[in-house]
Amino acid sequence: MTTGKAPEGVTGTAGRPEPAVASSGSAVRSLLRVYAPVLDAVRGMGWPARERVRSAVAGPHPSTVRGTSAEFVEYRPYRQGDDPRRIDWKLLARTDRVYTRLSEEHAILSTVVVVDASASMAFPPKTHGKWEFARRLAVALAAVARHRGDPAGLVVVGEDGMRVIPPQTRRTVLEEMMRALEVVPAGSPALAPAAAEAFRLGRRVVLITDFLGDAEALLASAKAAMASGREVYAVHVVDPGELDPDPKKLLVTDPEAPSIRRPLPARVRREYQRRFGEWRERLAREWRRAGAVYAMVVPGAEPLRRTVRRITEAGGAPAGVATGA
Amino acid sequence: MVTLLAPAFFYVALAVAAGTVALHFIVTRQPTSSPLPTVRFVPRGTVRVVTVERPRDLLLLLLRVALVLLIGLAFSQPVLVPERRPVARIVLADVSRAVGSIEEVRDSARSLLGEGDVLIIFDTRARVIRAGAADTAAALVRSGEEGRLTPALVAALRAAGELRAEADSIEIAIVSAFRASQVDGATQAVRALWPGRIRLVPVAAGADTLGVAHGAEVRGPGGDAGAQDGVVLAARLAGLAAADSAVRVMRGAVTAEDSMWAAAGRRTLVRWPVEGAPPGWRERARPDTAGAVVAGGAVVVHPLERRWEPDPAAPAARVVARWVDGEPAAVERVVGEGCIRDVALPVPERGDLVLRPAFGRLVRALAAPCGAVASIGPGLGEDELAALAGEGPLATQEAIARAERVRLPLVPWLLGLALLLALLELWARRGARAGASAGDGGAEPEEAVAPTHGGSGAGAGRSRGVMAGGEAQRA
Repeated sequence: MTTGKAPEGVTGTAGRPEPAVASSGSAVRSLLRVYAPVLDAVRGMGWPARERVRSAVAGPHPSTVRGTSAEFVEYRPYRQGDDPRRIDWKLLARTDRVYTRLSEEHAILSTVVVVDASASMAFPPKTHGKWEFARRLAVALAAVARHRGDPAGLVVVGEDGMRVIPPQTRRTVLEEMMRALEVVPAGSPALAPAAAEAFRLGRRVVLITDFLGDAEALLASAKAAMASGREVYAVHVVDPGELDPDPKKLLVTDPEAPSIRRPLPARVRREYQRRFGEWRERLAREWRRAGAVYAMVVPGAEPLRRTVRRITEAGGAPAGVATGA
Repeated sequence: MVTLLAPAFFYVALAVAAGTVALHFIVTRQPTSSPLPTVRFVPRGTVRVVTVERPRDLLLLLLRVALVLLIGLAFSQPVLVPERRPVARIVLADVSRAVGSIEEVRDSARSLLGEGDVLIIFDTRARVIRAGAADTAAALVRSGEEGRLTPALVAALRAAGELRAEADSIEIAIVSAFRASQVDGATQAVRALWPGRIRLVPVAAGADTLGVAHGAEVRGPGGDAGAQDGVVLAARLAGLAAADSAVRVMRGAVTAEDSMWAAAGRRTLVRWPVEGAPPGWRERARPDTAGAVVAGGAVVVHPLERRWEPDPAAPAARVVARWVDGEPAAVERVVGEGCIRDVALPVPERGDLVLRPAFGRLVRALAAPCGAVASIGPGLGEDELAALAGEGPLATQEAIARAERVRLPLVPWLLGLALLLALLELWARRGARAGASAGDGGAEPEEAVAPTHGGSGAGAGRSRGVMAGGEAQRA
């Protein structure tokens, strides 16, 4: 892993492309060794849009635009300004009325995955289970989107700022994402600005985070985006160690704010679990009420394919895990 | 047995080790903090926690305790001291003729002797028996010699020096008839060298045969009993002459028949020639005059001419009469069941020596039955016995001589091992710190502090702690 240095082909915070670094074959093989099981798990999966896409670029998703494709939908009386080439002349000859032939258009849905690389994602400290799961899930979702022809992009928010890969459909975009995700989660960066950038770049935005940062600002930004037609997926990463902390841990510290240290004996642990559960319920309720797809994921609780399917099929509670929603 | 020359160091080390163990299990410490991203949902406020943890860092504790004990043991200077019995006994068994019944001596000695004890058999000499003392005591034989306590006590003192490393106390027991003839001027002085009391086991004394009236057939130079010979005359005056007696005094030539007569029974043949020396004697190079002669209890003071001396080539014999300077004047040899006594004492033809009672007693002593020339004398008085026994406890081995201690070459090894343990402790401590710091945030407490419990920097055992807001309190 690397920190502080953007991988090749990744744009910086300002959107300027950073100098590309020649990728070595061994590095690519190393990345593929990590992500090959991920790509195998999501092979053949689709990710349909939740609503018609307001886009004219041809793609797999139904578009709100009526076009001239072969997939006929209906006739509409001719109005001034319609393209004369879309007039059905045979119908005009039979009925002596001018009708415009309307057909179904399909468009692409640019997808941007926002990954939270704050210090809280580096939990548990020994395995970084949350982060490892989050970056694999990000690549998996991007792979599913790109597989159907949608442009896929990435925004990684870490201690050094955000790293942006604009939505692309080229073959190497997944590799660029993998390299961009080779960072060590650290710091307590704000996720809302990165989400705003993602809403600007893509029509479908996936937020993979633990919502332990600026959750309120993030929700507000997402509400605005959804009002403008964006699809927002809120993927809440929760580690089993957060749901049921180790009883041996008697003193716990916030990794993003080390000055916060609190005792966690058995009696307090029950109160902690109650508060944490209430917060998750409220979080899920607010995001769903805003129109987003909320899904809580627990690393190791279910196979990755099932997690991806649960997210891409408009969300739902993971098997055996209470989402609080 | 290993003992410590300076045990105080080891006791101090024990105390320090106990303190180390106590600190390991008792002392509180700040618990290791673990990161938890959702710490914001942990409620604040006063929290009281009582926990019992399993002991940990036992290797470190073990190393520290072993290190302290080794240093303490090294400074306490362990030495090797041989194991000792409570009491070792030296039994002096009197086998002289002063003892009436040798069986009594055997029984007493066997009852006193134990494993490893020493038996000293004494008459005029002392023989030390260390191995198989009990078996030897069971086979004691009366020697017929006079008994002397002084050489026996000297031998006991020497044996005690050898026994001092084997027992805490040493006891000397004397099995004897305790007759006056067995002590001399040095006996009490030698006895004073023994620092403890002495057990006296008296046995019945033998009969004083010298004092018993007996007769003797005294033959003159011609073989007749009525010859005008001084010895014959003195025997008559002493009432010793008897026609048929077990003692025959020959002033003339002795024949083989006389020797066979003595050997055939318990008879005594006294060869006291008028002229010349008896067999086994030779003429002195320079005859002189001795002022007195002693035989048994008889003493004759007279300027007697000394012409002969024992031939060194002759068989060994028991001296029964001595000149005043200690040179033998008469000897006795065992022949068969009897004995032959040779007297090299010229009897002056002039003067009234033979008429004196002292000379008569001398003749009586020299004509006594075999083995009864010397008197065993009366028994020791109460005061003498008390002085011989002494008072107080048994002699301790410390009083006899300083105990031998073998210094063990352990001290440098112990110190070297302690140094090695110190290095291991350093290594183990670093390992424990590395393990502890792996999950520690390392930040100063600000919002809340949760000191709980633990050990002295490294290990934590069973302990209790209280977390109250930001302060730690002992339960």
